[in-house]
Amino acid sequence: MRKYWWKFLGAALLIFSVFFGFLGETPRREILNETIRMVYFHVPMWFSMMALMISSLVFSVKYLRKGDIRDDIYASQFAAVSVVFGVLGFLTGMLWGNFTWGDWLPKDPKLIAVEVGLLIYSAYFILRGSFDDEQRRARLSGIYNIFAFASFMPLVWILPRLTDSLHPGNGGNPAFGSDMDLKMRMVFYPAVLGWIIIGTWIASLRIRIKLINETING
Amino acid sequence: MKLLSLLQTAEMADVMRSEGKIYVVVAGLLIVVTGFLAYLFFLDRKVTRLEKEVENHKK
Amino acid sequence: MKEIKSLIWKDIKLELRQQNTINTMVLFMVSTIFLCYISFMLRTNNLEGLTWNTLFWIILLFSAVNSAGNSFRKETAGRHLYYYQLAGPGAIILAKILFNFLLLLVLSFSGFGLYLALLGNHVADYTLYFIALVLGSLGFSSSLTLLAGIASKTDNSSGVLAVLSLPVLLPLINMLIKLSKNAMDGLELSASYDEIMTIFGIDLVVIALSYLLFPYLWKS
Repeated sequence: MRKYWWKFLGAALLIFSVFFGFLGETPRREILNETIRMVYFHVPMWFSMMALMISSLVFSVKYLRKGDIRDDIYASQFAAVSVVFGVLGFLTGMLWGNFTWGDWLPKDPKLIAVEVGLLIYSAYFILRGSFDDEQRRARLSGIYNIFAFASFMPLVWILPRLTDSLHPGNGGNPAFGSDMDLKMRMVFYPAVLGWIIIGTWIASLRIRIKLINETING
Repeated sequence: MKLLSLLQTAEMADVMRSEGKIYVVVAGLLIVVTGFLAYLFFLDRKVTRLEKEVENHKK
Repeated sequence: MKEIKSLIWKDIKLELRQQNTINTMVLFMVSTIFLCYISFMLRTNNLEGLTWNTLFWIILLFSAVNSAGNSFRKETAGRHLYYYQLAGPGAIILAKILFNFLLLLVLSFSGFGLYLALLGNHVADYTLYFIALVLGSLGFSSSLTLLAGIASKTDNSSGVLAVLSLPVLLPLINMLIKLSKNAMDGLELSASYDEIMTIFGIDLVVIALSYLLFPYLWKS
């Protein structure tokens, strides 16, 4: 985790995506106009959140199999950072949606899925708070993490596609692919990768600090 | 003919771009982003220093 | 299989003898329905369909959450250990899920009957509504049993159970309300096919998950 190369990569990707996010060429679309550039910032929040949640899940499974308390620290810190990204994605979505759909908080199934998801992960932290014993806390929150993730996934991916939705790619709208041309994708994919790396970096810092605390106190 | 061309041009920030204001926006954002990344690097180095200190302490 | 049956049968016999869980559940449901009766029916004579349906499911949800905690609370630690040595953890969790399912079936149908009597009848297609009740009871029971197991290990088990279960049950409730609204409006069964399959799918996934995760729970 102390290696620097991937952190420089993430930083470079981020700067690249900001620079070309504004100066690069984008397709001209009615309603969206320039706000189409929000794709470079709003959508990577979700991808990062998903990547971090999956990481958290993987470490929860690892803990249940091996019992190493460090895996639990990894799991909880990844979950914490994923919630931050979820909130940021939600806020950026509200901002974008207000100017394109005309409503700060429309009744869109993807939004509702995210709201429920944030509730589920908040419950994860409340559960963790109600234990004093380390191993118990790790085990039970690990079980809940796996259970909650499996309930969250169908929400976010399947339900919006079944019902009417304002989001592109769901409920009768053509997927965003049709609006994003090749030039946009060249900025979009690096942006997603860059934000995932930054999110992982932040989580790794939190993990390292927690581990130091454990060594000092344990 | 004119109707077709009107339909194909959505309003974009061409005015901003033509006056060079967009570069100010990008510069401002880059300052914010690089500032944030620099802070992350600083925190990272601080944590590394702490980790080395804890390791020395254990020895 | 035999172990599961005997575990369920043991719980049923205990329940018939002492009746503490079912009494609490039924009383909670009756009181809440009566509260709604006083609050709504004494002012207007007719409750609008959407409100009627949603209110029923909310009452059912809270009664279920209340009663789910009991399946782990009523057994002492010593007896728990005894059961775990006799039957594997998989059998225990399946037996608990099925027992809670039976309890919730009784609760939902009797609650539905009382609800119809006090708050008016808006249902066109009873069969579809009953399907919703059965699928709902299965869904609640399967999620709540594992979550009750997790919550029972904490100090504030009923509070934690409510916090854990409500977000997880939200998508299920959403689908159930949609399905039962279809039943109320008298839509054809084929129109609700998507919802039924989704709910059934969620139920199966949750049961499978509970079966896989429970062994880690009982290690303490």
